[in-house]
Amino acid sequence: MARIKDIISPFTAWKNVVKEPVTIKEPLKREAAPRYRGFHKNDVDTCIGCGTCESICQNAAIDMVPVEGIETKNGDSGLRPRIDYGRCCWCALCVDVCTTGSLSMSNHFKWVDSDPDVFRFIPGVDKKEWDNEPNGYKKPGPNYELYSKERVHMPELKPEERDKSFIEIVRGYSKEQAMKEADRCVECGICVATCPAHMGIPEYIKAIRNEDLNEGLRILYDTNPLPEVCGRICTHKCETVCSVGHQGDPLSIRWLKRYIADQNPAENYKKILETENITKNGKRIAIVGSGPAGLSAAHYLALMGYECTIYEKLPLPGGMMRYGIPEYRLPYEALDKDIDYIKSLGVEIICNVTVGKDITLDELHQQYDAVFVGTGLHVGRSTRIPGTDHPNVYQAVDLLREVTMGKEIPATQSIVVIGGGNVAMDITRTLARIQNQRYGKVNIITTSLESENEMPADREEIIEAREEGATIIPGWGPVKIEIENDKIKGLHVVKCVSVFDENRRFSPKFDENQTNFFAGDMVVESIGQGMDLSYLPESVKDNLKLDNRGRIVVNDYFQSSVNWLFVGGDIIQGPDVIHGIANGHKAAIGIDKFIKSSMKS
Amino acid sequence: MNTPLDNIRTVFPNADVWTQRQGLYHMSIPKEQLVALVTHLKEVEGYLHLVQLTAVDWIEKNLFQLTYILNNPIKKIDVMVKTFIPRDNPTMETIHHLWEQAATYQRELREMFGINFPGSPRVDKPFILEGWDDIPPYRRDFDTKKYAEETYFPRPGRETNDPKEYMKKKLYPDEI
Amino acid sequence: MKFKDIFKIKEDRSLYPPLNSEGKIDVDLSSHKYVKLWHGPQHPGITGNMSLELTLLGDEIMDCETHVGYLHRGFEKLMERRKWIQCFPIVCRITVPEPDYNEYCFAAGVEELAGIEIPETAKWLRTLTLEMARLQSYLMWIGGQAGSLGMGIVGQWSNYCRDLVLDRFEELTGGRIYHMYIIPGGVRGLLPDGFEKRMEETLKTIEEFMVDIDKVMFNNAVFKKRTVGMGYIDPKWIYQFGITGPNARAAGIPDDIRKKYPYLKYPELDFEPIVGKDSDIYTRADVRRRDLLLSVDLIRQILAKMPKDGDFKAPTPNVLHWQIPAGETFIRSECTRGEFAYYIVSDGSEYPRRINVRGPSYTHAVALLEKMIINTNLADVAGLMTSLHTYPPEIER
Repeated sequence: MARIKDIISPFTAWKNVVKEPVTIKEPLKREAAPRYRGFHKNDVDTCIGCGTCESICQNAAIDMVPVEGIETKNGDSGLRPRIDYGRCCWCALCVDVCTTGSLSMSNHFKWVDSDPDVFRFIPGVDKKEWDNEPNGYKKPGPNYELYSKERVHMPELKPEERDKSFIEIVRGYSKEQAMKEADRCVECGICVATCPAHMGIPEYIKAIRNEDLNEGLRILYDTNPLPEVCGRICTHKCETVCSVGHQGDPLSIRWLKRYIADQNPAENYKKILETENITKNGKRIAIVGSGPAGLSAAHYLALMGYECTIYEKLPLPGGMMRYGIPEYRLPYEALDKDIDYIKSLGVEIICNVTVGKDITLDELHQQYDAVFVGTGLHVGRSTRIPGTDHPNVYQAVDLLREVTMGKEIPATQSIVVIGGGNVAMDITRTLARIQNQRYGKVNIITTSLESENEMPADREEIIEAREEGATIIPGWGPVKIEIENDKIKGLHVVKCVSVFDENRRFSPKFDENQTNFFAGDMVVESIGQGMDLSYLPESVKDNLKLDNRGRIVVNDYFQSSVNWLFVGGDIIQGPDVIHGIANGHKAAIGIDKFIKSSMKS
Repeated sequence: MNTPLDNIRTVFPNADVWTQRQGLYHMSIPKEQLVALVTHLKEVEGYLHLVQLTAVDWIEKNLFQLTYILNNPIKKIDVMVKTFIPRDNPTMETIHHLWEQAATYQRELREMFGINFPGSPRVDKPFILEGWDDIPPYRRDFDTKKYAEETYFPRPGRETNDPKEYMKKKLYPDEI
Repeated sequence: MKFKDIFKIKEDRSLYPPLNSEGKIDVDLSSHKYVKLWHGPQHPGITGNMSLELTLLGDEIMDCETHVGYLHRGFEKLMERRKWIQCFPIVCRITVPEPDYNEYCFAAGVEELAGIEIPETAKWLRTLTLEMARLQSYLMWIGGQAGSLGMGIVGQWSNYCRDLVLDRFEELTGGRIYHMYIIPGGVRGLLPDGFEKRMEETLKTIEEFMVDIDKVMFNNAVFKKRTVGMGYIDPKWIYQFGITGPNARAAGIPDDIRKKYPYLKYPELDFEPIVGKDSDIYTRADVRRRDLLLSVDLIRQILAKMPKDGDFKAPTPNVLHWQIPAGETFIRSECTRGEFAYYIVSDGSEYPRRINVRGPSYTHAVALLEKMIINTNLADVAGLMTSLHTYPPEIER
């Protein structure tokens, strides 16, 4: 039978009659916790519209939409996420995965409206009361990442292993390293617009992840017939806009490209790329210059069935890739692998023939259906300061060419290099190696107008040159070469305060009170290159339209005003391998269109 | 490797046993011997607790995998007993006489995968889905997205842009 | 029928029509001897959306069939179409009142297949959230159990306490109900400043209310009258029906997965499984009440022992295209209703091949309930159901 206690005990609940209620008095004013996952905020100026939030959203609640006032430009798609609160589950994975960190959440959670369509909004663009709310969910830190922000370290020769030789410094990724690096890609595709050749970057990185390197090679060759070259020396503009780079290291896109090219053996190329049988169309194209533009044009024309002949002045094909870029950056075997494949498509390369001397452009016009010229920039520019006429003042491009040709080049015990671009670094590092080989020590000063942060050379080039013993002193303008008894003593410089004016135009300003003197018995100039168009016959020159700066005017397909003459590469857009490749590809399409239309008429 | 299940091999030479980690073992056996093996495990080896019974659709191989997860509460060992049955007209012997809840599992498998368990109580009665007339929905070839698109209607006004394609359209529409 | 007959332990079918081949009764409703009654799916005494199709003789249940499917969202299938990380926001929805066990089992399964070891701090934080989930789930249950027997006030108190635990969840995880906190690789944040202090206040409030609930509910003649000896689970049924958790422990089986198959930081915590012996509704309620207080104690132990900083997430591959190595695994944990387990199969792709959820309600609410309910009185059905502590969403997933 029930105990009496059990009957009385429940009545203790009555004590609550005199207690204060625990109910929240004003529930609508209750503020959520600082970490609460409430309504979204987006810093639209930081956001680059990469759409990673859209890809991770399992509810398909996010659309990427254009926004008025936000322009599509390099590194910014101009799109911004629009969230459908009819689908959102406030998991905040979009916040965690956001590449720029622009997306976050407020702790607001009340929003009442009779129109269901207002709940589909663009955070940061459609102004909301919580836009400035500091509280709310943010990506937790530190070390909370949904993908690695750190680049896989590229194995390289140590300075002491490389400073005497010309063997390649960068060893290339192993399979594991490449897979790990490829894994970091978020597949947003922001990089594609920035690449001059618009390569299928996310796609070939995906091919690495899928361990399908044949597919990777096919993607590379869709837009770039020189992957071994570009995989090593491309200026990789893509990496500067990589969305992952906003909060970490950008993807190592260039090295991944090299990995694909390196891993596919040359003898399999034709099979992988399905170019074993190409139907010839009987049309013939002449190409002047075997640099990236000429090779690229030849490659794509050959695929379309054209018979291409490349005329090259120097003993071996490759142009600047061979005669400008030192071997430690781009070994000849890698270059030859790319060129040999293009040759295997039936492209004929005739070397040691100078167009304009051994054969004229008019003759080419008569023998071929169209002509593409990509003769590049091979003439070094001089600073024209007093003393530059001294025989021990050299042009960087000339010296680099001679190194490749196997000639003994002059390298004295102390050298001054003028220039801050990649060519300046190339000659500095080349001379440093030769000094090291000859004298066992490096004594080279490289000076540039630009300050350390403005130097146009790649950062790693500058770092590596210093590692190899070169002294780099940026921010000085050359004034005069000191010559005593016909011997060079050194270079007088003044402080350069600024290189560009407010319109980013070249207009250096100097502080004459600050001077310096760099001692040396040899000076190398590396301040840029010009073109030599002397091979153009008068008949062509007369009809060729030039712009006010003396450059050849071409249309979108690199066709000049002389309709059979197509021009591309550094003389149009450069200096840069990847632009040359893109030019050549487009010119090939233009030539095809030109020939097909002239066949019709 | 020695496992606490090694002696099973002497009784069931066809059984394939491997270890995942301490206390979790896998066992694979032809369909015909499965009920005998499971009965042996329960009655002789002390695997008294049927934790789970479910199927995996390996549509590429045209097979269903049936997984019986058994637990030995004394030895603290789990074993995943697996068998493969053909996907066409799939039938499996029932184990509802060993565990009462197996009938529920089998009823669900019948409904969701179309695997028949003749003799299992109420196996043909709808369990979760009433009035379902499509193929069993947990089969891989049942496309939930397609079903949703055909059955429901999307909310108007949703459109999205792929950043890569959009940038091409805006910045270099004519290029390759 | 006499009052004492309600407490029959042995099934008595002497007055009922014979069983058919499926173990059910065929009745002729036109005979007016029997009544069919749908108990649910919208019945306040039902835990969630399920229904019982009852066949009554007078007010005595002679047959019952559990109907589920009112909440079916096809989670297991949905996950097959989503990348691994995209399953993370979904799994919590499988069991509304205690989502954390889903999050834990899913994350632990992915980590096992991918070979990831999570940081120590993350293990402690996971243990903490699992215990907090247990606490709030029991608080919700206690209200349901009391409410189904007519004691509405207990539900108001316990839900107030539950709200306090949800407040703590809110500040720790950013969500009240769906926490989405235990992510594959770790957790999504450290303890906020002052958390321990506020948690301690919450625990104290809960303890105070539990004293009141003890007086009003457990030491209540009415409650005892309606639950002692009622809804008996024979210990012999435990493995026969796959009964786990408090339902099994109330029958004297000391199986607590936290102790028996220790995971996370449970081996470092000092506790003993809560066991009862009478195996009736009252004992089960009492086991749960003591388990609730054990959770309070465990949370105190965890907060005292755990490191307050350090890494809380292990590095994982890029989740946007995370391919989990092919394989299958089985992860279990002790939730408030019993053995909660995930069976995960990966075919090595970016998408799960199959994820199967073992919710304890699956066995409790169908096979077991259909057996237990025979011979009970209609008025006791709600109390009996809640005493099994079932959640329909995990039956149909």
